[in-house]
Amino acid sequence: MELFRQTNIDFLKYRWWAIGASWALILIGMFAVFVQKGLKFGIDFSGGTAIAVKFNERPDVDKLRKILDGANLGEIGIQRYEDPEKHEVLIRVQQQAKEGRDVAGDVLRTLRQGLEGPTDPAKIDINTEGKATLAARLAAADPDRVAGRADADLAAAYAQVAERVIAQRSQVGLFHSAADFGTIPGVSPEVKAWLGANTVVGPFVLLSAENVGPQVGADLQKKAVLAIVWSTIGMLLYIVFRFRSLPFGVGAVVAIVHDTLITIGLLALFGREFNLIVVAALLTLVGYSNNDTVVVLDRVRENLKTPKKEPLDVVINRSINQTLSRTILTSGATLIVVIALYFLGGEVLNTFALTLIIGIIVGTYSSIYVAASIVVIWKNFQNRRKLAVVPAPAPVKAPAVPPTAPTPSASASSAAVARPAGSGKKKKNRR
Amino acid sequence: MGKKLRWRVLLILLVLAGAVAGFVLTGYARARKDLGVTTPTVKDALRHGIKLGLDLRGGIHLVLQVNTADALKAERDDAVETLRNNTKDAGLGGVELPTDTTFSVVVNDKTDQSKLEDATKRFLPDWSYTTGGGKWTFVLKDVNRHQIEDNAVAQAVETIRNRIDEFGVAEPLIAREGKDRILVQLPGIDDPKRVKDLIKNTAFLELSLVDKGPSTSEALLAGYPGGKIPDNLKMVEAKAEPGRTDRSYYIVRKQAVITGRDLKNARPSQGQFGAATVSFFLTAGGSQKFGAATGANIGKQLAIILDNRVQSAPKIDDRITDSGIIKGSFTPEEANDLALVLRAGALPAGLTYLEERTVGPSLGLDSIRKGVTASVVGALFVFVAMVVYYRRAGWNAVIALLLNAILLAAAMSLFEATLTLPGIAGFILTIGMAVDSNVLVFERIREELRNGRAPKAAIENGFSKAFATIVDTHATAIIAAVFLLQFGTGPVKGFAVTLIIGLLISMFTAVFVSHTIFEIEYGRRAHIDTVSI
Repeated sequence: MELFRQTNIDFLKYRWWAIGASWALILIGMFAVFVQKGLKFGIDFSGGTAIAVKFNERPDVDKLRKILDGANLGEIGIQRYEDPEKHEVLIRVQQQAKEGRDVAGDVLRTLRQGLEGPTDPAKIDINTEGKATLAARLAAADPDRVAGRADADLAAAYAQVAERVIAQRSQVGLFHSAADFGTIPGVSPEVKAWLGANTVVGPFVLLSAENVGPQVGADLQKKAVLAIVWSTIGMLLYIVFRFRSLPFGVGAVVAIVHDTLITIGLLALFGREFNLIVVAALLTLVGYSNNDTVVVLDRVRENLKTPKKEPLDVVINRSINQTLSRTILTSGATLIVVIALYFLGGEVLNTFALTLIIGIIVGTYSSIYVAASIVVIWKNFQNRRKLAVVPAPAPVKAPAVPPTAPTPSASASSAAVARPAGSGKKKKNRR
Repeated sequence: MGKKLRWRVLLILLVLAGAVAGFVLTGYARARKDLGVTTPTVKDALRHGIKLGLDLRGGIHLVLQVNTADALKAERDDAVETLRNNTKDAGLGGVELPTDTTFSVVVNDKTDQSKLEDATKRFLPDWSYTTGGGKWTFVLKDVNRHQIEDNAVAQAVETIRNRIDEFGVAEPLIAREGKDRILVQLPGIDDPKRVKDLIKNTAFLELSLVDKGPSTSEALLAGYPGGKIPDNLKMVEAKAEPGRTDRSYYIVRKQAVITGRDLKNARPSQGQFGAATVSFFLTAGGSQKFGAATGANIGKQLAIILDNRVQSAPKIDDRITDSGIIKGSFTPEEANDLALVLRAGALPAGLTYLEERTVGPSLGLDSIRKGVTASVVGALFVFVAMVVYYRRAGWNAVIALLLNAILLAAAMSLFEATLTLPGIAGFILTIGMAVDSNVLVFERIREELRNGRAPKAAIENGFSKAFATIVDTHATAIIAAVFLLQFGTGPVKGFAVTLIIGLLISMFTAVFVSHTIFEIEYGRRAHIDTVSI
């Protein structure tokens, strides 16, 4: 099967249209960022608390809000998420003025008190307590009468029992009532009876709690920006070094910036939240976008080595056409994977996957249009200036021509063909 | 050629066998450790092959800040105390405490300044001083200041480690981060509140003689001339009784009889009516001090102060030497944890939580399920696409990709790399990127065929011409991932690690392995007419 058989599309003919389209996309994105909604930062960057809780029964969000309003925590957001059948709720608390308050602990305690009322302090909440506490309480009560046996290790025996109880709780999500204790595998009836008599089945179980203070949030913000900036500079250096050509490097970097800006803009437009994982996706895109560009530029470099004199835009057009099939196919394969993540990967990976979906599509387009267009525009501009200085057709020295390569001479009508060095190096790679 | 090919096949099989063996053996070792069984099942071994991150396994990630100011303040108070004790007859005025690292001593014409200078030289070598304005101003020297801050953080790390070890956590990570931060990662811990309290508890225990109390602060102050507490006493709040909102206070001696440093051991015990209490035992030196003080003060109250809260203030009935009991309305867990922190030692300074990330065990399970489903579905789609598009060569790519996945899993297992939820995404993303190398080669081969090259030559040229591009694409992707590694917390790092290892492996599978498969297929025949690609 073949999708593209020796295409010969004049991509560069439309380069000004493409530049217009790119700017339009960037501006729409920037409009979303600066005018419409602003970037929505997750707690990783803005600081604050996010607590995910799974309830026993369908939670009444208004009631939860009323309970939490009493905790004096400032602004609180409560939303159901994922499948409503799972009774999961995400509670967000704004950043506190002072560093160090145990917000997650306060929220959970307030919720428990508000929902359950006063509880017997001698009983532990089986949906809240961890293995260690459960094991210690079991060991103290010793329902299995381990203590009487020879070489009995009370602590170890009940650590294992507690492990099984909590594992079952994780398996089913949470215990709904004392009747659920009957389903715990590998645990004696005595232990089950003890659980029934000495524990209360709390209204919820903690899925996750994240609390980021103002200092860490500010740190991460700075680190995220620096990571993106440095990796972009890294790409520039790699390409300038590998292709010995500044225009190639600048073209690739402009493509990266282009992709990043559009992706950020579209994420803002879709109202998605920025967190660490989205930044990870953006950094992956920096690599990915450059990947595509490098493949095209590699081909350009190779095609420039043929003795045939051709204008640069023709060479670039041919290179794009030659790599088109690969570009589309690879992007398609990666896209399939990322789409699977988008639909099946769950809440945490959803925005990550969306970032990559946008980025891969935009990155594929930019490697065809942005990087190549920049190189052509740069070279054309350079030639025009040189021609203005040197009126008569004269040998034009390209920036980094190896002494062995024949110096191309520029004719008045065609763009000078820069021959990136590194060609000698590349030969070594070929057998 | 045939001989060379045989070596290549042998190498690939060896790598594959090594990877599988490595994965399974590491899995057995880890399963043995994690599950605490001597002979884990094969299923358990496979499950424990890769170390899971906190987001998949459940656990707590904490970043704490050591309030080094506390340690500096303690050092300053010590210096003031030392100076005072050694210049008793020098006629000093009052002491001012403008900042944590400075203090001033007021002098007047009656002060014997030579005695002050003498004491300073002898006892306060860490402090520099200036005179003027009717006072001597002491400043902690920078070198000593840094040393104190540094020690406080180092000691805090040590103390936290002791406490965590006593509590019993498998594979904890406790590391210093930057100047005054500590990173604590506790996989498998499902009781965030208890552990947070355990770590943060300063556990500064003092036993001090009570002058007055308990009463309200106003009533207590009224008992002293001018409503001011004398220099050698201080007011301490009592621990709130459960269910009561009014506060009561004690006036106690500043100089403690014994502190937490005099403890030899502590353990939870049961008091009257089965109430949870903590028993402590003193060192030889501590016993001596305690015996002398209690013997001389029979009938008086002794306040047991923990972290600046009076837990209880029993009356001294008799001379006590080597042990005591702390009462307070503790739950069994609180008593247990208090004994634990007393054993493990006090923190040199208070701690502030800057960041907390807790993942419950059920969320981790759910994430694994989803991540794996998405990966398997994604990979299957890619495989089908490759086979449909490239026919037989597509199978070649599928084998290379599968091998890539196996080697990646093995490498992660052997390097003890941590798999996180974004790491699972990285796993599947490397499959997407590794396919790129195959596509690059296959497209080149097709191109060569179109240009009329003989099949065998086309394959050779396809691989050699695509090689430079493959190196370039991998290098750029790895550069980006390395920057990612420098950034962010556990889950993101896990993603970067997975990506980097996966990319390195794909160089091997997509070029070397895939090429070898082509040679197995076509190499033996002297002449081939067509290539299925």
